[in-house]
Amino acid sequence: MTGLAVDDAAWASAWRRRAPGDKLLLCAGLVGCALLLPPWPGALLVAASAVALALGPARVPAGTFLRAIRWPLAFIAIGAGTAVVTVDGGGLGWAPDAAERAGALAGRAVAGSAAVLLLATTTPMSDLLPQLRRLRVPAAVVEIASVTYRLLFVLLDSLGTVREAQAARMGWSSPRRSYRSAGMLAAAVLTRSWDRARRMQEGLAGRGMETGLRVLPDAQPSSRPFLALGLALPVGIAAVTLVVR
Amino acid sequence: MHIAEGFLPAPHALGWTLAAAPFVAHGARAVVKEVRENPESTLLLGAAGAFTFVLSAIKLPSITGSSSHPTGTGPGAILFRPPVMALLGTVVLLFQALLLAHGGLTTLGANAFAFAVVGPWTGYLVYRLTRATGVGLLPAVFAGVALADLATYVTTSLQLALAFPDASTGFAGALVKFLGVFALTQVPLAVGEGLLGVLLFRVLTVNARPELERLGILRPAPLAPTGGAA
Repeated sequence: MTGLAVDDAAWASAWRRRAPGDKLLLCAGLVGCALLLPPWPGALLVAASAVALALGPARVPAGTFLRAIRWPLAFIAIGAGTAVVTVDGGGLGWAPDAAERAGALAGRAVAGSAAVLLLATTTPMSDLLPQLRRLRVPAAVVEIASVTYRLLFVLLDSLGTVREAQAARMGWSSPRRSYRSAGMLAAAVLTRSWDRARRMQEGLAGRGMETGLRVLPDAQPSSRPFLALGLALPVGIAAVTLVVR
Repeated sequence: MHIAEGFLPAPHALGWTLAAAPFVAHGARAVVKEVRENPESTLLLGAAGAFTFVLSAIKLPSITGSSSHPTGTGPGAILFRPPVMALLGTVVLLFQALLLAHGGLTTLGANAFAFAVVGPWTGYLVYRLTRATGVGLLPAVFAGVALADLATYVTTSLQLALAFPDASTGFAGALVKFLGVFALTQVPLAVGEGLLGVLLFRVLTVNARPELERLGILRPAPLAPTGGAA
């Protein structure tokens, strides 16, 4: 358990051992369909496919998937609602095609979010970061991102521990105390991150690792049937959408 | 307030990605140069990225009775400078999209432009200008961090208004709408994040003075006279 539900789901997913490139292809295809196809029935097909694949073959817990998608849903509801309200001299009103526009906007965003969440809940970040090298991201940047990924769990653990100690001392019992505690919490986490980084550096230097943190990649072979799914599903969704339209 | 995946039309998502790219590439170049000259800074920069992610996970009490999360980029811009934050902020946004489902991949460019470019640069410039006029560290931190947050929110509203102009009043009307709706949470959050920045730096000046001196935030304290007999 890492403390982040989406990351936990990714490590436990039945698709964990599938090649990250295969999953990226499938999810990128679904996101592309969500963004570029007419929202009816394109967005519905993309969202249904992403949810069915996540809860079915990838065996992502339904509760984790639903809890994770609550955040984008809140933004989508507020954003889509605001986009279809009109403002003029007389005050606020609905745009003439408000329901259609809001539905299209929300449909695209929900479908896109579900497709990205399919990737996030089946592929740990440590599998995705090496893929950035294929996009010609400098090795030093990928290495810093990898260190960030590994350290953030240590810091989240520190954050939880310090916050628990503060709460036990009534540190979060009023807004004034909460702000004071939040400031001390942030400072404690920052100084601990510096201290942790310094000690890790000293430990690595002691082992002669001064120019990089190279490790053997966890090779996951590509699967032809899965690649075929990654190509066929977006193409199929596009074909059905264009025929129905 | 991250723009969700699929919310922006494809040309806007692409346009904002192209707008953010030079700043992120500049940050990447600065970081690669730093790592080449000082390989040990890889871990410190990784720690800075992790701190920015974790800072955005701290809940602040809101005047509306609920709680909200700071953006985390304002203090980062003052501590680590805007070019580094352009890169680290983008990495953090990628992690937030894939670990928390906040934001998205096609909207990463738009979110990076608001959170990792405009916010940190605004905060850092305000901090430097206020410091240059003789204002003390903590008021300058408050102004820098609060305005970094506000600039982020204004930029996101501007991005949404450009993508979804109002049916009768166009871009201007849409901007007023989005600014008005998000002001309910973002203006109190900006003040709250400014206060958090002040409290953070107040603790750091006591507990981490050498690190602040090394980062150029504080001047090294003059050596105390030894007072010994010649």
